[in-house]
Amino acid sequence: MEFRTVRAGIVLGSLVALVVAGCATGQKSTMGTGDPVADRQRLMKNVGANWADIQNKVKAGNPEGVAVNAEAIGLHAQRIPGLFPEGSLTDKSKAKPDIWQKWPEFTAAAKNLENRAGTLRDQAVAKDAAAVTTTVATFGRDACGTCHTPFRVPPPQQPAAPRS
Amino acid sequence: MNRRHVKTAVMLGSLVTLALSSAATGQSTIKIWTSDVVADRQRLMKLNGASWADAQAKLKAGNAEAVAVNAETMALIATQIVGLFPEGSLTDKSKAKPEIWQKWPEFEAAVKNYAMQADKLRDAARSKDLAATEAVAKEFGRQACGSCHTPFRVPPPQQQAPAPPQQLQPR
Repeated sequence: MEFRTVRAGIVLGSLVALVVAGCATGQKSTMGTGDPVADRQRLMKNVGANWADIQNKVKAGNPEGVAVNAEAIGLHAQRIPGLFPEGSLTDKSKAKPDIWQKWPEFTAAAKNLENRAGTLRDQAVAKDAAAVTTTVATFGRDACGTCHTPFRVPPPQQPAAPRS
Repeated sequence: MNRRHVKTAVMLGSLVTLALSSAATGQSTIKIWTSDVVADRQRLMKLNGASWADAQAKLKAGNAEAVAVNAETMALIATQIVGLFPEGSLTDKSKAKPEIWQKWPEFEAAVKNYAMQADKLRDAARSKDLAATEAVAKEFGRQACGSCHTPFRVPPPQQQAPAPPQQLQPR
């Protein structure tokens, strides 16, 4: 009898603590909409749009102008791992389950994007047009591809990247 | 005696659960920023300013559509601002006014307003309507930046506060 009471007490205490902890952490995450798939798709769309802007500027002979876009990609890249909580794989998501099976590799790939975006930003700030052009030429493969190839289901119209 | 046991059990359960749940959130809370919150927010706001300058340069060149990426960048940045102003983060390197923490709901509202203005600019740009985009941009410095910078930021020495809306040249 006493055991049962003690057990009930432990369960009760746990529940109260969970609610309190849940409220505390819930308050912190006011930044997103609560839908991590929608949030990360919005973020990644802006990463893609900044990348498109970079390519347009280089084509238009304005490699120095890409600094702002590279910095945007670098700051967005920091937010990527936090937008992939465990269990956030819905039918609307193009994420592969490999993300959570190889989490350290996934976070390393996001960090790689941040680092390469930082390199590109620094080259643009230094007004080194040749360096910017070189980095941009391999950015799709070395920055986007190193994460999209292992961790994203390829879009249907586009064949999967041939290289590993 | 029995009561005391129950009380101890409740506390024990609470503590274990709290420890477990904070360990769990610690794992899923990925560290984004450095330990220097003033440097972090200044980096963020510099990207904001640079995105706005880029948007203005594109508008001058008559390219409204290309403004959308900058406006969306600003809208996404806006979601990060409030979290980068924790209480007590006013150093001599910061241009933040103590009013931020004295009038916190107004500060939050100003950030929210900024996000909405950035959304407006983005949507106008996406519609490829140059006149509509220019109309939003014309008011953006005063309505989006100014509504927060005027009450909550120490003005830079060379610039008068509040800046008139015509002063829309990139810095």
